[in-house]
Amino acid sequence: MSLDRSPSRERGGWSSPGLTTPFEEANGKSYGGLDGKQDVSWAKARANSARVQDSQGQGFISRHYRRLSESLPHFAHGGQEDRFAEKEKLGRGRASRTSFKELPRRLGLLLSRRRKPVAVFVLMLLAVFAWFQKPISYWYRRTSVLGGGSKFVIILAANQGGGVMEWKGAREWAIERDSVKNKKRYVSEWGYELDIVDMSTKKRYAHEWRESWEKVDVIRNAMRKYPNAEWFWWLDLNTFVMEPTYSLQSHIFNHLDRTTYRDINVYNPLHIQHPPNGTSGDPNAPQYANYLDPECLSAEGDGDPNSINLIIPQDCGGFNLGSFFVRRSAWTDRLLDIWWDPVFYEQKHMEWEHKEQDALEYIYTNQPWVRPHVAFISQRLVNAFPNGACGDDRGLPDGGCAAVRPGDGLDPKECGVQGIHYQERARDFVVNMAGCEWGRDCWGEMYNFRQLSNRLNRSRWERFKDWWGDSMEKSKAESEQQQQQQQG
Amino acid sequence: MPRTQFPYPRKSSMPSPYTSARTSPYTRRRTLKALAPYLLAGLALLCLLIWLGSGGSSSAATYRPPGTPEVVIVTTIDPRLSESYKKNIKENRQDYASRHGYATFFPNTTDYDLMPNSPETWSTIPALRHAMTKWPHTPWLFYLTGTALIMNPAESLQDKVLEPRKLESMMITDRPVVPPDSVIKTFSHLRGERVDFVLTQDREGLAGGSLLIRTGEWAKFFLDAWYDPLYRSYNFQKAEGHALEHIVQWHGTILAKLALVPQRILNSYSRDSGGGNDDGLYQEGDFIANFHGCQRDQSRNCEEEMGPLMNRWRELRDQERRK
Repeated sequence: MSLDRSPSRERGGWSSPGLTTPFEEANGKSYGGLDGKQDVSWAKARANSARVQDSQGQGFISRHYRRLSESLPHFAHGGQEDRFAEKEKLGRGRASRTSFKELPRRLGLLLSRRRKPVAVFVLMLLAVFAWFQKPISYWYRRTSVLGGGSKFVIILAANQGGGVMEWKGAREWAIERDSVKNKKRYVSEWGYELDIVDMSTKKRYAHEWRESWEKVDVIRNAMRKYPNAEWFWWLDLNTFVMEPTYSLQSHIFNHLDRTTYRDINVYNPLHIQHPPNGTSGDPNAPQYANYLDPECLSAEGDGDPNSINLIIPQDCGGFNLGSFFVRRSAWTDRLLDIWWDPVFYEQKHMEWEHKEQDALEYIYTNQPWVRPHVAFISQRLVNAFPNGACGDDRGLPDGGCAAVRPGDGLDPKECGVQGIHYQERARDFVVNMAGCEWGRDCWGEMYNFRQLSNRLNRSRWERFKDWWGDSMEKSKAESEQQQQQQQG
Repeated sequence: MPRTQFPYPRKSSMPSPYTSARTSPYTRRRTLKALAPYLLAGLALLCLLIWLGSGGSSSAATYRPPGTPEVVIVTTIDPRLSESYKKNIKENRQDYASRHGYATFFPNTTDYDLMPNSPETWSTIPALRHAMTKWPHTPWLFYLTGTALIMNPAESLQDKVLEPRKLESMMITDRPVVPPDSVIKTFSHLRGERVDFVLTQDREGLAGGSLLIRTGEWAKFFLDAWYDPLYRSYNFQKAEGHALEHIVQWHGTILAKLALVPQRILNSYSRDSGGGNDDGLYQEGDFIANFHGCQRDQSRNCEEEMGPLMNRWRELRDQERRK
């Protein structure tokens, strides 16, 4: 016997145990090769090895067959085939196919099985939510990922012009108290940051050129103080948030492309030329009068709302910095840097009585790099004026602003970009009592707007109480009248 | 009432809710387990695609079409100068540009709408702005005044100055912007990649005759601010030169982008021009020879002064061609 042959009769085939497959044992072929008379040929060995590989593959499948088939949904019911068949006879379809429809039932089952603990848990959860509803919604609205409230900082300029220049009277204190309280309430509603800055004329500026040009410094400080915030909303002290239920996100920032406009030609009380063309306005301008890049020449910048870094309302006289938004960016750093310059100041400080506002208008007009990143917003969205500021209130058209179409020649009155005055009917967001210190009554206006805001934002219960009280009074008055008539 | 007891659970025609409730979440979990790797892989692929997509859009911003020159050489030329002088100046720039694949731009000083009474030297700034519009993808602008010659065209601007490490090794830090005693000093730590504006100093202050500006949003801001009408009307003694010194010293966002390099790297002054640093005088082999002030000074004649060096430049060029 040569060593080529299998050494073991009993086990059959080759000596390694893995080679004995059920097939070999069943058909007995392998025994035929082991009777010792037949030589082991190359072809046979190959056939054997092929079979070995084959059976190995089968072995894998058979070894894992159960597990694999178990994991497949429709083979899982092993010996219960007949039950499902029954079910199908009843026309119910397969359970796994209609899993979504069955979800409520399953949940019900789950609950019914652990009824008590689940009920207790749900109750406790509800109680926690009810009890801590304010802090939870505050936290939710603040988070930068969910609500995004901490991305907004309100800079409130308090104590304007106070300090060394003049003493504040009781009315000024009352205005300040009301205004601050109003912003605090708004901020606590939506999770924004509030930075109240003291704008009193400080000694360090009193003998300096930069007297009361602190807006730039204040914005810079706020940016340093809130390093994670994105948008900074400047508010003068004489402003009042009329609708604390409006969030900045839903009111303005979620659809900047619709709430703002970039083309200065849309509403242009200053008659700023756009596109910027040369500087001297000379009709025989030389060869390259317009050498600027297309983005600066475009009325819309690049058209992407993400490139807006400054949002300003325009009143009847031009830019209004009583309420404006500025976004943290490299562009903003540059603007804040160039906003105040000693050479500009030296030449213009007598002329620029609105200081930063005039300087910004000047820079916007004369430095083309600014334009692609500035957007304008209609005054009534963020900075509505009371009647008397910037002329008289023209009111809304009869059908409201929705009735005014650009083509039909109707007077738009206070609608759209030239709308300036506060409209109670439209529930405008913020009112700015601009210029009330010159001949108007600041405290009176503030008081009236506060009362109006409270009345407009009453809760249902308060509404009901007011309605009840009113109707009672009315009926009382009527009955008194009747009595008087009867007596008379 | 006594309960009826069965020996084994009765088989009902309805499937027991308990069994189906138990088996089906079980199988679903198994399915989920089996499918989880594929789901995760799909999710990962999605993330990858999104990441690639966003990366693609950001790279589109810095996209540079093929054939974009690395640098545009800008020289404003006074149209009243003699034709031969103009031709020489242009030839000098074009020779350098053709060696390194740069572009040249020669607007006239009268091409831009300056305000009445502002000196024509102000046209430098709109010319640079104009070059940026014409070559929007070119990363650097090289302004060289019309009174200077490129004497050593062998080295490209990238190798000479613009490569960030090279720039870092050369730039002069913590030096008063306007010598000798300005309180505003150049930044002591500045990374080469962050530099957007390279120029030199002469004895009097910033030497604006030869400067490099990286194009982009910052350049627009810088040029527009520098060109502001209130600066032009302010009667700075040296017009745009003093305006430059003013904005660099008053505005941190400009100072933060500025790198000063030794004068002879970019702006050697010829021997007879005033105001050069002692170590800023032209020597054979320097990149630039600037006949600083030859235009402003009535007693000097730029063309005459330039003559010898112009001939020398031609000589060198022809030598090289013959080789």
